[in-house]
Amino acid sequence: MTTAAGAVAAYGGVIALVLPRAGAHLVELAPGAGAGLALVLAALVTDGRGLGVALWLGGATYVAFLVAAHSGIDGAAPLVAVLLLLCGELATWSLDERSRMRTDAGLIWRRGGAVGLLALGGLMLATLSVVLGAAPSAHGLVFTFLGAIAAIAAAGTGILLARR
Amino acid sequence: MTRFTAQRLPVYAALAASGLIAGLALGRVEPIALSAPFVLALLAIVTAREPQITARLSLDRDRAIEGEDVTAFIDLAATGGNARLELLVPLPAQLSSPHNAARALLLRDGEPQRVELALRCERWGAVLVGPLLIRVRSPLGMRSWEAQVGGRHSLRIYPTEETLRSLVPALDTQVFAGNQISRARGEGIEFADLREWQPGDRIRRVNWRATALRGSLWVNEQHLERNTDVVLFLDTFAEVRELARTTHLRAVRAAASLAHGYLQRKDRVGLVGFGAFVSWFPPQLGMRQLYTIVDHLLTSEIAESYTRPGVSLLPPRTLPPKALVIALTPLFDNRIARALLDLRGRGYDLVVIEIATPEAAEPGDDASAPLAERLWRLSREALRWQFAEVGVPVVTWREGEPLAVPIEEVNSSRHLARPA
Repeated sequence: MTTAAGAVAAYGGVIALVLPRAGAHLVELAPGAGAGLALVLAALVTDGRGLGVALWLGGATYVAFLVAAHSGIDGAAPLVAVLLLLCGELATWSLDERSRMRTDAGLIWRRGGAVGLLALGGLMLATLSVVLGAAPSAHGLVFTFLGAIAAIAAAGTGILLARR
Repeated sequence: MTRFTAQRLPVYAALAASGLIAGLALGRVEPIALSAPFVLALLAIVTAREPQITARLSLDRDRAIEGEDVTAFIDLAATGGNARLELLVPLPAQLSSPHNAARALLLRDGEPQRVELALRCERWGAVLVGPLLIRVRSPLGMRSWEAQVGGRHSLRIYPTEETLRSLVPALDTQVFAGNQISRARGEGIEFADLREWQPGDRIRRVNWRATALRGSLWVNEQHLERNTDVVLFLDTFAEVRELARTTHLRAVRAAASLAHGYLQRKDRVGLVGFGAFVSWFPPQLGMRQLYTIVDHLLTSEIAESYTRPGVSLLPPRTLPPKALVIALTPLFDNRIARALLDLRGRGYDLVVIEIATPEAAEPGDDASAPLAERLWRLSREALRWQFAEVGVPVVTWREGEPLAVPIEEVNSSRHLARPA
């Protein structure tokens, strides 16, 4: 129940970061955000179906907000990213714990720690990408090198996933 | 171990790809930042390694009685890192777990663990426990590995026995010494009659009071103490089932109780399982025979068939002359009725204990249903009457009643019975 509430709160956080700043575009963005929230609730009530679509809708709403109502780099992007990830992880955790199984207390702390670490890592990575993106182009060899490493890492991850 | 990937892997991959594509298309860094945590989660999936788990299942004993608790021990060890281990002991219908048979625990690298699981023996039967189903999950639950381990262990659950103060006595005894008073006269304890002294009679058998009254030597006669042969005739043609309650379960419980009772008083007991498959154990004495019979009863089951076996299939020593045959049957199949009437025709002392069916459902709304039910009841009455006509007592053992009730009913109707 706690994890389910956490998932809903995380998704609510994404909405809270987007809609109040949408201004005149609130009417256009609200249906997508509302539908996403409804899908999260439905996924938690049922067997998790629709959770992926809800996360995608949350991300799409945020991107739509950026395109429509925000110029320049939005510093809240890493937070939105981590909240979406937390929503997915907490909702899945809630669904996993539904089975009538006696669970050691240590396992709950272990998974909680793993989710926390993943969120922290994700936040750092997202912040790093925003910071790197904010740097002016042709700023030097270091940034070019970092960009190349990021590209290789992304391609490598894709290949590894495909092979497994 | 079979590997599984969490359902959210494609979702995260799609989100990461969408963010990267949107970032490139829009020329903005925020969508890329949006995809960054999901890329990290994908990396976590890629780096998850398969742990090596060893598991062994054992039981604290291999025989138990209905209602007792048996402890299952599960010895677990992991190598190659800590693991979240979920384990489930699939239980047959005869066993239940007062707590949950599914457990999730943290298995640390190099630290073996022993899990104890209490299992309640709900009803008799020969069952196999195991193999264990285990699932190891990565810390975030994105990867999991499943396997069946631990082998199978057999457990024999013996039925609880009914308390029987008296048993149905056979009309005729056999030639071996036992606890039953024979109709024949000879050396025994129970007084039978008086007769005049004959050469060869022992002096200690002289009844001095009768001798003084009559003026000539009179001696006491005693009944012999002999044993009897009892054959339990178990109907395995058909059963009536309502949820977990079946007539066969009760028939087996009755057979085990009767076998124990008769063997305790030094009678020879045999068993005939009569149905699609005919099985038999000739009458024998002793505890070994009790275990043989009960072990066979544990594996007996109802099998549907269209065969029409007759009692002539049975070897002659399975049904010794003068044996008391106790049939345990719901009397649902005409083939068993025919076989029992055939036995009676061959002169066997036969008693039928009819295992009452669970309360039949109310007849349906169909107009012909009450008529059909009435016809069915009449046909059963007719069958009982057929047995009564040839001098076979048919007593009904109703659900919830002790077995002693039908036994006493038979005894009260047999006190004047004589061998055919």
